[in-house]
Amino acid sequence: MALTTDTKKDIYRTMFLAQAWEQALLRLMDENLAPASYHPGRGSEGTEVAATAALRPDDYLLYDHRGMAHIIAKGVSLVELFGDFLGNDLGTTGGLGAGIVHVCKPELGVLGQSGTLGGSQLIAAGAALSSKLRHTEQVTMCFFGDGAANRGTFHEAANAAGAWKLPLVFVVQNNGWAVSVPTSYSTGGTFHDRAIGYGMTGYEVDGQDPFAVYEVAEEAVERARSGGGPSLIEAHTVRLTGHYASDPDGYRSAEVRAAYAEKDPIVKARLMLLEQGLATEDELRGMEQTALDEVQTARDKALTGTKPGAERLHQRVYV
Amino acid sequence: MREITYMQAINEAMAEEMERDERVILMGEDVGAMGGIFGVTTGLFDRFGPDRVLDTPISEMFIVGGAVGAAMTGLRPIAELQFADFIWNAADETYAKMSKWRYMHGGQVTVPMVLRLPEGATGGGGAEHSGCPEASMLPHPGAHIVVPSTPADAKGLLKSAIRSDDPVAFFEHKMLYATKGPVPEGDHLVPIGKADIKRPGTDVTVVAWGRMVSLALQAADRAAADGHEVEVLDTRGLRPLDVPAILASVEKTGRLLIVQEAPKSGGGASEIAAIVAEEGLDLLEAPIRRIGAADVPIPQNAELERFAIPTVDDVQVAIKELLA
Ligand SMILES: Cc1ncc(C[n+]2csc(CCOP(=O)(O)OP(=O)(O)O)c2C)c(N)n1
Ligand SMILES: [Mg+2]
Repeated sequence: MALTTDTKKDIYRTMFLAQAWEQALLRLMDENLAPASYHPGRGSEGTEVAATAALRPDDYLLYDHRGMAHIIAKGVSLVELFGDFLGNDLGTTGGLGAGIVHVCKPELGVLGQSGTLGGSQLIAAGAALSSKLRHTEQVTMCFFGDGAANRGTFHEAANAAGAWKLPLVFVVQNNGWAVSVPTSYSTGGTFHDRAIGYGMTGYEVDGQDPFAVYEVAEEAVERARSGGGPSLIEAHTVRLTGHYASDPDGYRSAEVRAAYAEKDPIVKARLMLLEQGLATEDELRGMEQTALDEVQTARDKALTGTKPGAERLHQRVYV
Repeated sequence: MREITYMQAINEAMAEEMERDERVILMGEDVGAMGGIFGVTTGLFDRFGPDRVLDTPISEMFIVGGAVGAAMTGLRPIAELQFADFIWNAADETYAKMSKWRYMHGGQVTVPMVLRLPEGATGGGGAEHSGCPEASMLPHPGAHIVVPSTPADAKGLLKSAIRSDDPVAFFEHKMLYATKGPVPEGDHLVPIGKADIKRPGTDVTVVAWGRMVSLALQAADRAAADGHEVEVLDTRGLRPLDVPAILASVEKTGRLLIVQEAPKSGGGASEIAAIVAEEGLDLLEAPIRRIGAADVPIPQNAELERFAIPTVDDVQVAIKELLA
């Protein structure tokens, strides 16, 4: 799928929707209706939405703990997402709750996320192996941060993917921080350079430019699909908030945070659409209002869900 | 009935199930052309080819985690760790991913995989190649824990494990690989979680699994020479645990000895003793006894290893003491 004007608009719309959904979630937390256990995704929507947009509906997604934009881009409904955070029966897991992880939607290829960072890299390699052995041409995309890229799981998954030319795309969201530790302190070399050592194709892209991310992701996904093997995309991005919802973020200076605030991918994409004459102000406003309405309707619906009783505890442990 | 070895029985179970269901694949270190370092997978690569029998890199996390990913997406992998001790190298993938991902994701996916784990002391393997870490899985619900003691059980339980939609950790004792016994040809299935009375008796119940069952049977023979009838109950694993069968046996004998090869502390024997103490204290005519390895790392020196792990003599003495 080429990067048409419609695709660009759709990417913008989904980014806006994801951040509107997140604002509504944070409000639910303020209202004490949802548990305050969340890692906001403000700042990384560009990478999450645009890379996911390069996937087919039946491709597999292992998302990460940073925001929900990739899951929303893969098509999980806002009601289900709210339901997961509210821990009620409208969520994808039937009320188990999903403050940070555990959203799952097999029909859309959403396989989950590892609560232990890095675990999804291995599961992604296994899913990619499976589609290769089953000859289904499905691609697996696995998101993780710069911090999780330093786990040993990465080495084992990347090596297997490279050795067996698995249809896998790793997306490293390098936001420069793992909680309080700067990537420059924790990491030797660069992530995209690692790719070559594993027999993968490496890309470096500005994660704040969603259209650039899409083009890179599309190339990587198509290579994977056509048997050309795995890729690693290092997207430079920013974390506009603290690590978790109520993190005071005191370890990053005011200057650093101000510089990040200049790099909002949603603002940037909006400007590009206007400047390139691809959309009018009125059109974008209309799109944004529709998204806000969609979020409000989903919130209202999700709040009608029922919380499970103790009997839910013992269900679905075994088949 | 024909007799084959425990190893052949495991091989036959895999071959039959791979023949029956093309979604079944086998992955592990050296399981391909070599047929495994113990020879358990001999012939499978030639028969099923490189897309069904995969020699993995030395990447235990990938062997288990990759199998979980494959199991979630339509395959039914048999993953082999070369030694059960390597379960710690793939701890998160085993105790969390394999065991928890079905539940965590609301039961929307299943993880139909078998993790094969060659376990046990073999006379000189040393502390990092001799373990029986079956009970380490107990506090991580979600996977079945199966430990066969005979060739027939090995075949029947493994076939059931491969067909199960739940994940199964399958511990096979390396010292049993060469032991022979009668094994039915073709579709021989043994249900997971059903204990088996390997020898009926009325005076003492000896509960065991895996290699310890043969020690229990030998000790029971000796006790019979002294006029005591020992019942040997093979749990065939630790989860699901056939508690009704254990209680029924204890009700009959009033005396309970539990034998495991793992160090005595924190093992399956402790769990079974606790369950019987809770649910069957009034059935007991003597205190519960446990036998396990000494609470030390298993020394590489084979002579010291023999002192560390349970012997037939240990079981015989404990039976005598229980009857005294
Ligand atoms: C194995 C493991 N170690 C540590 C943690 C705790 N933890 C959760 S998120 C996080 C930081 C991750 O940083 P990064 O991967 O860069 O992602 P980011 O939060 O920056 O998006 C840490 C340390 C964990 N969940 N799992
Ligand atoms: Mg980071």
